[in-house]
Amino acid sequence: MEKLLIESTKATPLIDFDSDKSMLVLKGQSYPENAFKFYDPVFNWIDSYLATNPQEIHVEVRLSYVNTSSSKCIMMLLESFEKAFQRGVNLQLNWYCDMENESEVECAEEFKEDMTFPFEIIPEAAKNH
Amino acid sequence: MFDEKMLLDLQSTLGSRGILISFSGRFSQGIIEELGEAIMEHMKAEDRPRNDIYNVFAIFVEITHNIKKYALSQLGSDFYDQIYNSGIVTIGRNEEGYFICSGNLVKKTDAEKLANALDSVIPLDKDQLKKRYKEQMKKELPPGSTGAGLGLIDIARKSSKPMHYSMRDMQDLAFFTLTVMV
Repeated sequence: MEKLLIESTKATPLIDFDSDKSMLVLKGQSYPENAFKFYDPVFNWIDSYLATNPQEIHVEVRLSYVNTSSSKCIMMLLESFEKAFQRGVNLQLNWYCDMENESEVECAEEFKEDMTFPFEIIPEAAKNH
Repeated sequence: MFDEKMLLDLQSTLGSRGILISFSGRFSQGIIEELGEAIMEHMKAEDRPRNDIYNVFAIFVEITHNIKKYALSQLGSDFYDQIYNSGIVTIGRNEEGYFICSGNLVKKTDAEKLANALDSVIPLDKDQLKKRYKEQMKKELPPGSTGAGLGLIDIARKSSKPMHYSMRDMQDLAFFTLTVMV
């Protein structure tokens, strides 16, 4: 399956989804003009990828800022992961956070609350602050 | 008239109100990104807590996206240009903290909807806001949605005091203002 690589911009994160390595990376800030349009190819890729019945998936998230419409899109992605996990996929998500930023941590924690798959919030020294 | 007196007056007004950044006119995604970055850099240079910087930036993004989305939704209306050009946002600092004030023209029917939406969010405490946010997050969105309906709840969650809004009749339209403190 083709990799999905979308380079980051000021308002959109790097999307680096590698099906060969079962490694999905999201990194940067997310507040595009139209989040649904930006995440549409991401949803499509995930649907096709999950249809290949992967055994395991590693997800690495480093999102220093997510606006509300992007949050909705991230929630939709996490829901797809949750369904895959319920079907028996070995899934691990690591969410890296600047622990000095309560709002950023709170955002990660709230996503975690609704998921049952292994979801780890890991402190990261902030580079961009 | 464009003269030095006018510029000095404008500068002195901005300065006396503690306004650090102001923009009046059409908000493009590029302008939102540049101004957002400028306020972040300014607050970092002032050594503000990361949380405050994040919240001011987040509120600024939600407010300006709301103004822009609203303007774009009026495409084809007689008031499209007037509405699109009417946006203004100021970010500043006073003795109570940082403030984000915005204003824009809206149709009177939309002003009422906006007031109802704000009235339902403003009295909520932090726990109620979180609950409302999560409920809204789980709602299925109608196809073609450009937003998740979370913006005002998020702004309320990130503000240190209840938001304040006003509506002023301007002939066929209403001028809507919103003030948020961090």
